[in-house]
Amino acid sequence: MFSRRRLMGVFAAFVAAASNTVAVAQTEIQMWIGLTANLGELITRFADDFNKSQNEYKVVVAYKGQYPEQRAASVAAFRAGNPPHIMQMFDAGSGDMVQARGAVVPVSEVFKRAGIAFNPADFIAPARGYYGLPNGDLLSMPFNVSTTVLFYNKDVFRKAGLNPDQPPRTWPQLIEASSKIRSSNASACGFTTTWLAWIMLEQFSSRHNLPIATKANGRGGLDTELTVNNASNQRMVQTLVDLQKDKRFDYGGRSNDAAAKFISGECAMLTQSSGGLGAIARDAKFEFGTAQLPYWPDVQGTPYATTIGGASLWVYNAPKRTDQEFRGVALFLNHLRSDKVMSEWAKATGFLPATNSAFKAMSDEGFFKKNPGRDVPILSLIESAKGEHTNGYRFGRWTEIRDVYHEEVERALQGNQTPQQALANFERRGNTMLRAFEKTVN
Amino acid sequence: MSEVQRKVVFPNRALPYLLLGPQLAVTLVFFLWPSAQAVLMAFQQQDAFGLSVKFSGIDNFVNILADPGYYDTLVRTLVFSASVTLLALLPALALAVAADSLLRARAAYTTALMVPYAIAPAIAGVLWLFMFSPSIGTVAFLLRSAGLAWNPTLNGNDAMFLVILASAWKQIAYNFLFFLAGLQSIPRSLLEAASIDGAGTWLRFRTIVFPLLSPTTFFLLVVGLVYAFFDTFGVIHAVTSGGPAKATEILVYKVYYDGIVALDLGNSAAQSVLLMLLVIGLTTVQFRFVERRVHYA
Repeated sequence: MFSRRRLMGVFAAFVAAASNTVAVAQTEIQMWIGLTANLGELITRFADDFNKSQNEYKVVVAYKGQYPEQRAASVAAFRAGNPPHIMQMFDAGSGDMVQARGAVVPVSEVFKRAGIAFNPADFIAPARGYYGLPNGDLLSMPFNVSTTVLFYNKDVFRKAGLNPDQPPRTWPQLIEASSKIRSSNASACGFTTTWLAWIMLEQFSSRHNLPIATKANGRGGLDTELTVNNASNQRMVQTLVDLQKDKRFDYGGRSNDAAAKFISGECAMLTQSSGGLGAIARDAKFEFGTAQLPYWPDVQGTPYATTIGGASLWVYNAPKRTDQEFRGVALFLNHLRSDKVMSEWAKATGFLPATNSAFKAMSDEGFFKKNPGRDVPILSLIESAKGEHTNGYRFGRWTEIRDVYHEEVERALQGNQTPQQALANFERRGNTMLRAFEKTVN
Repeated sequence: MSEVQRKVVFPNRALPYLLLGPQLAVTLVFFLWPSAQAVLMAFQQQDAFGLSVKFSGIDNFVNILADPGYYDTLVRTLVFSASVTLLALLPALALAVAADSLLRARAAYTTALMVPYAIAPAIAGVLWLFMFSPSIGTVAFLLRSAGLAWNPTLNGNDAMFLVILASAWKQIAYNFLFFLAGLQSIPRSLLEAASIDGAGTWLRFRTIVFPLLSPTTFFLLVVGLVYAFFDTFGVIHAVTSGGPAKATEILVYKVYYDGIVALDLGNSAAQSVLLMLLVIGLTTVQFRFVERRVHYA
């Protein structure tokens, strides 16, 4: 246990030493990813295509565990002087990476150094807001971009006497549909959600243009403070608590776990990342539909746009890294952002095309007409109103703060505290972590 | 006696050190060095990337001991460890006694009972996770059919029960093996003499077998407690990740979470130092007080 971090560093150094001796003719570019199965395989194939297209560089893709584990491994490798060249990092980790000056090189600069034209405006606006600097430069390159959508089981809708082509648009409508589903016993549970904090706090706030914290959601300074213990958030948590009692809502665990409850047919509706489409399309034995994330219509100006999630690609710096290596990184990233790769990625996975031109290419070839529902996440991002608080956030230690939200809301769902207490505790504990982060950075 | 010993001296002064070398090197590189690093980091405050490192005295320890959450975790760890240790010892002893009294197919039973020990903790965890998963698990289905509201993703007690069961199950195999070996080393003549004197099975077990097994039991108690404190990490990580709402977060998991997920290295290192002290303390207590009752044949 004591040796874990150190071991990882030693291991990374061994790996790096071994690979250096192999790559005599070609320069090797290490890329670490946090996705597995079909998603990971597809990224590996993109790298293979790139390797075949030239013989100066060889990109090696490696899976190092889920995002948090992979990040820890890369941090250890960085401390040992040999981080991966490119690392895929999920949205919640961005706030930590931004503060790691000297550890990362902004992608805009990577392209500039390599002399490759790179215009951040090519990327879709929400991604730019999320991963950009105030001067418009991009810190990391958006890659797997997603947003929250509502998946619903059309077979259960029919059984419950609901119109399968009219998914609920608002929370009151969803509650009504869920009540009908339960009273007719069309399925064992009405709805469930994955990624509790991402969906019920972050996406919820964007959808209603509510701030999560002061200082422009953390973009304006490290002395930001959480401000979520208000009537709107309390109502959302209270709704989950109330519906949990008679299984109109059924909590399915953190991260992605609840998707199984929808796929098995137990729950009729699921709020989930649009990137979860692939697994649902593959495994669900029923007809399903996709709709935008519900909102509360009595909040002024709703619906606002949802915000993005997913991950972006960060470029690590290291003392011994050469210009030659950075050029290889730029060339490979350039390959990844091409319309061909971006649209193949989006079509196969349910993630969104990260660039405007890839979106246009997909529309032009009629992909969205042929695949109804696939444009839902994109419309949810661009069609609805934009507000002051719909551009995402930037907080240090957010991975951990998200878990605090999970814990406190889980306690409320268990009936051990009120939603108001849950949110107050979340604010208090979260702010302590934000202060601790502020201290380590300054 | 001592004179005899003094004569046994290696002619080559360097050879013993050379032979010890590899073992010492491994201990130094993989245990002492990282432990020293952890102790050093416990007194520092630094960002994840090591870009700014500051000496912070005992701040990390003060922060930990001032956090009520830490004491919750401590109590939880003690409950968890005691349950796992007991649940792994008692069935193992029963199984060993049963296997020892077999006349046929003893090897087959012994092998079958040893298999769980060869299973990696994470795999064991996933196995139990699937069986008890509320939406897809077979056992969960039976529990629900029996009218029990089984939901370890939301109910902390259900989750705790699950990780205790999975952790104990894995260790039963190990304990079984040692108990069986211990039983087989008890001289048959003693038991036969007792039988002739008219002692029944239970009396023989209570007055001969169990006392003679006490060194084994004591050894397994110490090992089991250390197992429950440290090696159950894999099971907890795979089954609950410490949730729901920290209901299954034991000390070693908290060290991992705060260090690897939250990247608060100073705090995590300080916790690991405290954990090390705690386990050293517990082991000392065991040797001072429990070992007195152990009868070494």
